[in-house]
Amino acid sequence: GAMRSRGEVDATLQTAKLNPAELLPVVHCLSFGPQAGAGECCLLQLEPGLCAELEAGRSLVIRGEKDEQAVLCSKDKTYDMKIADTSNMLLFIPGCKTPEQLNADQASCDIIHSQIAGFGNNYWELRRCRPKLKKLRKLLMEDPYEGPDNQKDQTSTFSKYTTEDLLNLIQASEEEILHQLQVIDACKIEGYWRILEFDYEMKLLNHVTQLIDSESWSLTKVPLRACLEELGSLEPTEMIEHILLSYGRKHIDDAGEIYFEMHEDKICRAIAHMLLQNAVKFNLLEFQEVWQQSVPEGMTTRLDQLKGLALVDRSSRPETIFLLKVEDLPEDNQERFNSLFSIREKWTEVDITPYIQDLCAEKQTVGALLTKYARSSMQNGVKVYNSRRPIS
Amino acid sequence: EAASLARSGGAGGLAQWVLVELQGEVAPRQSGGLAGSLLGDLHYTREGVPVLIVGHHILYGKLVRLEKPFAVLVKRAAGEPGPAGPHACYAVTALIKTKLLFKTRPKPIITNVPKKV
Repeated sequence: GAMRSRGEVDATLQTAKLNPAELLPVVHCLSFGPQAGAGECCLLQLEPGLCAELEAGRSLVIRGEKDEQAVLCSKDKTYDMKIADTSNMLLFIPGCKTPEQLNADQASCDIIHSQIAGFGNNYWELRRCRPKLKKLRKLLMEDPYEGPDNQKDQTSTFSKYTTEDLLNLIQASEEEILHQLQVIDACKIEGYWRILEFDYEMKLLNHVTQLIDSESWSLTKVPLRACLEELGSLEPTEMIEHILLSYGRKHIDDAGEIYFEMHEDKICRAIAHMLLQNAVKFNLLEFQEVWQQSVPEGMTTRLDQLKGLALVDRSSRPETIFLLKVEDLPEDNQERFNSLFSIREKWTEVDITPYIQDLCAEKQTVGALLTKYARSSMQNGVKVYNSRRPIS
Repeated sequence: EAASLARSGGAGGLAQWVLVELQGEVAPRQSGGLAGSLLGDLHYTREGVPVLIVGHHILYGKLVRLEKPFAVLVKRAAGEPGPAGPHACYAVTALIKTKLLFKTRPKPIITNVPKKV
């Protein structure tokens, strides 16, 4: 139909008994645009910071396979998406001005025809969440790198992933993904992100620790150049450097030479892992003895190096220890607690903390998680936590 | 699969739209749907109070600066008719930082005088 004229607008004002003198001179005649009812437009409510990111020209990405709940990712954060319903009708209107804008505008028009682009009674709501990174390790474990001599590697690229592939498959922001790759000591080999197969990783570590021992180097000053020279005939230089980066902190000395300060805790932990994976559980005292003998000269083993890796059973006679890796446990909060309570009925806070720490949201504490998912009681004067519900 | 929310604004940046929030539903007066039909006239008083005349009603509203702005997402034709929901391809077309909230009960306009056309 024809657009409303100023005359028609004034007539309506008169019928409505509104005094034009009390109104700003400009009227918006609102009508529904041709695509308004098509549902092509929807609203996304922005958390703090996201608006500024969009205005700065950065993109947001929605990630998720058909069987996953969609998440929204900025450059460095991940958000759950949920539909929020409102009892009111929301109309979104381009080119509609506020009184402030009208007063500032010197234009002489007295009528603006605004087309409603869309309407609805819901919008997408965002809530910051933990990035869903368990899948990352799962994907990289499909084809762990076993060394250059391994024939398997030369053939298919089927389960090998580039950064781009990971961005498409993992429900997390780019920065969160790259950070996690570093945390799990992944490395890029021929453009693909790889995790080292454990035995190969231990073989590399062993080369380095044996060299440190035979050269009588200080554990805090392991020279890169010498390592590459001595070990380069045994393993690819990139792998030697990778193992040094994984198990040490890189420094540059005054002469510009690179050296590594070895992580005593991480090395002891890896060796414990190697020992513990050979049986279901071990006599604690025997294990501790063998463990101390297995680590490089000058390193001291301590049970607290094994948080999130192994669990000590102080109720059995003799006391035992067994492998329990936090990364093998479920990612979902309730499922994680169910899993832990099916392994052990009652937990002290000290024992359970390493296995739930990673579940904490941005400002959440372990205590808050325990309050929510567990029930506490006293046992022999010690506070313990058990499941809120019966575990089958 | 990932759907990227790319900015589709030009060099000048994202457009700023306005949200109008009304109680109840909007239904077409005539058959044939809403597209192209008039909603009403939006005025502002000199104090900046939004006034909306819809049909035979006057609505007084309030201008609200949104604490959490909205992004307007427009579905981009992905080529094939896919399922609705977050897995389709979206582009950010505009930002909404302001809403006109009409919560007061509409005052009916009593017309005992035929409107001038």
